[in-house]
Amino acid sequence: MEAEATLQPLSSIAPAAQNNINAKFIVLDKGRVAMEDQHKTCLALVADETAAVHFQLWGDECEAVEAGDILVLKNGIFSYNRNSLVLRAGKRGAVEKVGEFTMRFVETPNLSEIQWAPDPRAANKYVQRAVVSAYSRIFPPMR
Amino acid sequence: MASKLTVRLAHEAESSLEITLREAFCCLEPQLKPPFPLIIPTQEQYSLLNKAILYGILCEPHLLKIHIKHLHGVITDGYGYFTSIIVIIVNEMYRKLVDSAKRQLIWIAREMVDVAAVGFNDLLVALLRQIVAGDSSEENLWLCYEMVTLFSSKWDCLLEEGSSVLTGALYVFLRLLSDDCRVSNAPNFESLMKMEKDFCVKMLREKFNLCLKIGRDLLRLLQDLVHVPEFRAIWKDLLYAPSVFGVGEFMDISKLYYTRTPKWYFLLRVNPQMESQLRFLLTHVKFGSQMRYQVWFAKKFLSAPEKNAVLIDIVRFICCVHHPSNDIIHSDIIPRWVVIGWLLKSNMENYVEANMKLALFYDWLFFNEKLDNIMNIEPALLLMVHSIPEYIDITNSLLEFLFLLLDNYDLERKEIVLRGLSTSLRTLLRKGVVESVEVLTRCDKLSPNLKERLAELLSGCSGIVDNSRIPTSQML
Repeated sequence: MEAEATLQPLSSIAPAAQNNINAKFIVLDKGRVAMEDQHKTCLALVADETAAVHFQLWGDECEAVEAGDILVLKNGIFSYNRNSLVLRAGKRGAVEKVGEFTMRFVETPNLSEIQWAPDPRAANKYVQRAVVSAYSRIFPPMR
Repeated sequence: MASKLTVRLAHEAESSLEITLREAFCCLEPQLKPPFPLIIPTQEQYSLLNKAILYGILCEPHLLKIHIKHLHGVITDGYGYFTSIIVIIVNEMYRKLVDSAKRQLIWIAREMVDVAAVGFNDLLVALLRQIVAGDSSEENLWLCYEMVTLFSSKWDCLLEEGSSVLTGALYVFLRLLSDDCRVSNAPNFESLMKMEKDFCVKMLREKFNLCLKIGRDLLRLLQDLVHVPEFRAIWKDLLYAPSVFGVGEFMDISKLYYTRTPKWYFLLRVNPQMESQLRFLLTHVKFGSQMRYQVWFAKKFLSAPEKNAVLIDIVRFICCVHHPSNDIIHSDIIPRWVVIGWLLKSNMENYVEANMKLALFYDWLFFNEKLDNIMNIEPALLLMVHSIPEYIDITNSLLEFLFLLLDNYDLERKEIVLRGLSTSLRTLLRKGVVESVEVLTRCDKLSPNLKERLAELLSGCSGIVDNSRIPTSQML
């Protein structure tokens, strides 16, 4: 069996053009399935105990994943896709369901609702510039 | 290479349990056929061999005879370890097992009963928990059939072992019958229901001394079956001829009223996944953040109306089994009464709602401070008090139900119920569960009649009104 990559808290991720994000989170909500270049895509809200983020499901992930599922993402990427900032498995990553329900989460901050800017002190790095919205504007919290 | 143990859906991680078992099997595969080595294994080798043989039994039905012979030859711990792994398999992945593995599993369970394996009780309990109430799928009916057959055919063997699991089976089959008997024409499982009834009647008629161990919840279940002739006859004897059961200590039905039901019976009707989700909710989720969890739980377990009767079992589980620690009680974690209040708002049939309320108040009826646990009766009072003013309809309907029970539950033993209810209230007040019930007795939105009766109940005066609506003896 391959060595387990260390999972990182969602709060520690920043946009980058790299497939190096390993994280465990729970799916809070799922949008409608749409077609993008002849592939199914579907936006979801996912979160762990530190942060929430929009996750883009792709292909058969759209049907396989349900709200309440706990997923492990390996070698995922957090980057802009058609102007929206999403976490996704991408071509080199993979996402797997490892459980259901039994995970705590927060809905704010939402990393997809943050305005990021290039880090003046480090090339190819992004830092948070402003909070656009505390919570997801696409999947508002349930009250 | 043996076939797979489970059905895995797209993007689903393989369970670590399955990986462990398969690795043990692959590692020892050459040794799993005769001639078997005669060396005495170390503890580690022994564990590995147990796992490998179990994997072989579940995944290679055609080699069953060889594997089972091997198993009987190597066992040195009374099958304790072997049985414990099967229990984990059943609890963690029964639903995902491929059909052939499920069949092998039942076969090996019977074998474990035959050899009186250490822990076979736990194995049968685990299998009973997998039967889904109100599910008439072929798969589920098959499991019911296999289990009732097992309990009927291994009757003597189970009795000889002094196994408490027979009473567990009685609890489960009575509970299943109470749901199934409501479906008037169900030709598919008529013969199954007949077997379940026969088993239950045999237990009650021939082994009533064992049945007494179930305690008061035995009556709660039997109550739902009073319209079934076999059980109506048993009711008559329970009430008017208790001596026919041939148990010296059972001279009146109140003997059962005063026996608190042990916790493990309630778990029999809440499956392990449901249990873990409810426990998570009540241990980790903050009050105010529970909405999404509630939606997921309802979607998974309560979306089919015919399966909603499990709500009754969930209420019993929350009141009698899941008792949070003091740390949790004083934290911002969602309290038990909130979860019960939410469940009471589900969409369900009237009989389920009435039975949920009965489940909530059942220990109030016979509460005895020396024998009973205040944690069992606490949620009902907190729910009534905290539902004011926003959910006043809940408070009203619960209080109404409480007095309905007082007036009608057992006409010939009203003083028992009166004593139970007033002791419950006074104990809850004395222990400071709520500071006072003034929030109830002075609430403008509650009907004056309810408030008056509540005050009477507290003062210890008779709250009995003789205008019985559901006289027990007339039902018979």
